[in-house]
Amino acid sequence: METLQLQIMTPTGAIFDGEALSVTIPGEEGEFGVLPRHASLATLLQAGVVDIEMTDKSVESVVVNWGVVQVDETKVLLLVDGAVALRGDSESDIAKAIEDAKSLVDSASDSSAAIATVSAKIESAAQKLF
Amino acid sequence: MANLKDIKRQIKSVSNTQKTTRAMKLVSTAKLRRAEELAKRSRLYAEKINEMITEISARIQCLKVGGIENRCFQKIENPKMVDIVFVTADKGLCGGFNIQTLKAVKKLMRECKENKVKVRLRGIGKKGIEFFAYNDIELLDAVRDLSSTPNVQRSNDFIESSLEDYKEGIIDGLYIVYNGYKNIITQELHVEQVLPINVDEFDCDENAHSLLEIEAEDDEKMLDALMTKYVHNNMYYALINSLAAEHSARMQAMDTATNNAKEIVQSLNVEYNKARQAAITTELIEIISGVESMK
Repeated sequence: METLQLQIMTPTGAIFDGEALSVTIPGEEGEFGVLPRHASLATLLQAGVVDIEMTDKSVESVVVNWGVVQVDETKVLLLVDGAVALRGDSESDIAKAIEDAKSLVDSASDSSAAIATVSAKIESAAQKLF
Repeated sequence: MANLKDIKRQIKSVSNTQKTTRAMKLVSTAKLRRAEELAKRSRLYAEKINEMITEISARIQCLKVGGIENRCFQKIENPKMVDIVFVTADKGLCGGFNIQTLKAVKKLMRECKENKVKVRLRGIGKKGIEFFAYNDIELLDAVRDLSSTPNVQRSNDFIESSLEDYKEGIIDGLYIVYNGYKNIITQELHVEQVLPINVDEFDCDENAHSLLEIEAEDDEKMLDALMTKYVHNNMYYALINSLAAEHSARMQAMDTATNNAKEIVQSLNVEYNKARQAAITTELIEIISGVESMK
């Protein structure tokens, strides 16, 4: 199956670097999905959740605050200020990741409606982890 | 011949110094490893953002009639005032690390003066701040404790004011001067012109076929966002790069100091043995001549 090369970079390192089947990105003008062979585009991001469909069909979520994305046919590159991956080995790890993700979004956005929307998304993504 | 006791005291003092320098070297080695890792990770981001900014700005430059409006991408013919940001360490004992940076800053200042460009100095790191205070050169901004513990937020806040001034036309250029990490034994001096960003080199024909589509409503908004990121990241990268370089410089300086101490202890030991031998010989001569006189 065709895959795309996804990289999520922050100034302190790469949060995700690998193959994915598809990825959903919170663009400034709304959420959009990217599959392999997507047309090239560049746009701004807003605080939100990036859903990555891994090669084994499982879904991984990464919360990002603000940044830019560049898409071309084979790869997707997200440059963000801060990102937290919603994953962990134990329940306490996951709970901590959720906390971090929420505070990241809180600091990124000043509209409470936006924060609430993203928080809800974080919660629903987190539900799948437990 | 020096007194035996004096030499012994000297030997002890030098070996104590040697212990300190060796400990400092070990500390720096450990810290270097961490700093190096950090620098490596954010180098990736720096590379990507550079690629992206060149590609997107070139794309917009080529497509848009009249080129890019954003001031950060325009060539400024007669600069009147520039900001020079320098990064030095908060601590000394790292060989020529700080002084190299400061010399480069002074050289850049001289060049600006020759071209009749005013300079505003903004400093990070105690050593550089002290140097300019001693030389009676005024700093616009002086930040301590940032170069030893780089922090994205503080670094962004610091450079943001230069960026604002640039956008408003108060300054016409922004330089960052720092001593960066090349490998474990070499540091590399960086004098980087961060603003304005040069987009001239790009070949429009070659990229006419690129299908890149810029989604944001307004191209300039996208560029502005990218450019802010670019400037912020340049500052942050300079900080962590400089930290790694500082530790490698200190490690080397302390290694040399330890070796020197070792040599001094060796030569003092030789001197000590000679003095001891001389004392014994004198005593023997005294005894023998005493015996001779009794005969």
